[in-house]
Amino acid sequence: MNAGGGTRRSRYAGLAYVAPALLFVAVFVLFPLGRLIHLSLTNASLLGGSRFVGIANYTKAFNDPVFWQALRFTIRYTIYITPILMGLGFVFALLTAAAHPLAKAARSAIFLPVVIGLGTSSLLWFWLLDEQVGLINRVLMDLGLIAHPLVWWVDADMGLWGVIISVTWKVVGFGTIIFVAAIQSIDPEIIDAAKIDGADYWQRVGRVLLPLATRSILLTTLVSAVGSMLAFDQFYIMTAGGPRSLTFTSVYWMYQNSFIYFKLGYGAALALILVVIIFVGATAQIVLTRKRSRQ
Amino acid sequence: MTRSLRIAGLTLALSAPLLGAATASADDLSMWVRASAANAAPHLTDLWNASHPDKIKLTVIPDNQMVTKLATGVQANQVPDLISFDLIYMPDFMRAGFLIDLTDQMKADPNAAKVAKAFSDLATYEGKLYGTGFTPDVSVLVYNKDLFKQAGLDPNKPPTSVPQIHEFAKKIHALGPDTYGFYFSGSCPGCNIFTTSPMMVASGAKLLPPDAKTEPLQGDGVKGVLEQFHEMWAEGLVPKSAQADNGQNFVANFKQGKIGIQGAGGFLISDLKKDVPNMDFGIAVLPGMKDGEASAFVGGDVVAIPKGSAHEKVAREFIKWELTDEAQLEGLAKNNILPSRTDLADNKYFQADPRIITTAKAVGIGYVPWVFHFNDMVNSDSSPWIQMLQTAIFDGKVDEAIATAKAKMKEIASE
Repeated sequence: MNAGGGTRRSRYAGLAYVAPALLFVAVFVLFPLGRLIHLSLTNASLLGGSRFVGIANYTKAFNDPVFWQALRFTIRYTIYITPILMGLGFVFALLTAAAHPLAKAARSAIFLPVVIGLGTSSLLWFWLLDEQVGLINRVLMDLGLIAHPLVWWVDADMGLWGVIISVTWKVVGFGTIIFVAAIQSIDPEIIDAAKIDGADYWQRVGRVLLPLATRSILLTTLVSAVGSMLAFDQFYIMTAGGPRSLTFTSVYWMYQNSFIYFKLGYGAALALILVVIIFVGATAQIVLTRKRSRQ
Repeated sequence: MTRSLRIAGLTLALSAPLLGAATASADDLSMWVRASAANAAPHLTDLWNASHPDKIKLTVIPDNQMVTKLATGVQANQVPDLISFDLIYMPDFMRAGFLIDLTDQMKADPNAAKVAKAFSDLATYEGKLYGTGFTPDVSVLVYNKDLFKQAGLDPNKPPTSVPQIHEFAKKIHALGPDTYGFYFSGSCPGCNIFTTSPMMVASGAKLLPPDAKTEPLQGDGVKGVLEQFHEMWAEGLVPKSAQADNGQNFVANFKQGKIGIQGAGGFLISDLKKDVPNMDFGIAVLPGMKDGEASAFVGGDVVAIPKGSAHEKVAREFIKWELTDEAQLEGLAKNNILPSRTDLADNKYFQADPRIITTAKAVGIGYVPWVFHFNDMVNSDSSPWIQMLQTAIFDGKVDEAIATAKAKMKEIASE
């Protein structure tokens, strides 16, 4: 009896402890999500007026060629940029993990663009890559690498790479700092032991540093991949969805429908579809990570 | 003398609270203005503020956020007292019930009848008037007289038809590989509805359907203009960068003196005078496919009062005032900005530059489409309008482009 009362009491105490978090989630996640689901089942317009339309918005999305094109493009962007950010981030981390003042200065330089807003950096790179006044074209021409200035935004592939270059410059410092922290947290004795065992530098990186930094790498990969799936600002500023709607991302297409075409209901349906896709992808990645950790 | 000064000072000091009270009782009005009109609007509001106790405070809203901001503002009941926005959104805003009906005021105001027809047409919904012209702009043809001279063309004879633009562009491009005959922003739907569509309309085309029953893109002018543009593109008379230009370089190339002819807005006159004072340039109306055909797109901003305005009475006074001779001439014309009233197109301030008179007169022959869903049909980056232009001009598939755009526009009009 007493024991039961104690369990109930501790259960209430536990609930009290998690109540603020539950309240936060209910107010800021569940309620908006519920509203979003409701909105997605209507033909709500930004200019006012709303009528229940059932799953019509979802049917429309599945028959919308631009939605599929935008989704494919977003996945392609994520697949391209994620390994670049992770690989380059890890290389920079290896190069700057030492406690040497020069390494610290290099780390700061690499991290600096992270604190610049994505909109600002996108605008900066838009003009750097401009065919008339852009510095990049001037340098490439002066080096004799190109005969005429490149028009980056005239082609969807070049536009994509222009954005990847700018985002890499802006974001790579984030992964670098995480990886530096992961490398520095490895017990130096383990590395010394590897050295005594005769492991050369690359063997130490491949057999010691990389496995021990796996959790940080996977976490950063997850954050980076989710961020890339939600890409908007950089494409809005640099490619404006062009040429010919080929560089619309999923979020851009959602924005376009909600705020340019005023179709809030359809935009909400697109948002929910994207939420589900990202949720499934992130869950799969977390499950795989856990399996690997157990192994 | 000293005594009277003291008395005057004392009187002033004693009346200060009263003056303060008078100032406090005056209402400060808020006005939203889109970024494109942010240079022009202060000329009017400053003039108003200088002579009226109720001051207007301007807030500049980025062009592409105005619709969202007003729509959300109306729903949250947080609107400004006055709003100046791209006239093209009038039909959507009027139908949505965002604006206050100004019909009685406008009918009683003799100046309102003198406002360019394009403005009053567009501000009318179901027989009621909801706004009027504020800071107009209109599309015209601009050409570089220096390049005309170098190419052996008469700098006082601008092209009078689209095929003649093509012919002149060839001669100008022959001056050198970095000199181009013609320019348009190939990825900018708004720039092209402003400058390319009038060439089609001048040729008798009817472009955008006001309802689902009306056939879009009617008339030979559509195909004729697209074919001419495609030929100019294929012949290299237009810079390659035009294909990707989403409007960022709408007039930048012309300012550099590398472009012979292009469609632009009246705003370019003061821009060119300021930025490249040595350039000799001419202004003409946008032509159609045949000699003598001409049109223009009347753009710019309308002024209206959003529902929920806290100072509707003073806002109405401002709208009445901004159509007076004083506001139109001293606020707009004096600063090289076109007046909304067509009777003031030829005024004392424009005499020094006949190019401005040409531009001001273009307002009178201009058109503006009265359509819902303008963003879907035209202004968005994926609109059927821009897709038609790109497929026709850059790929050369003119018939296919028109057919696809027609189907899509019909679908949008039926929503």
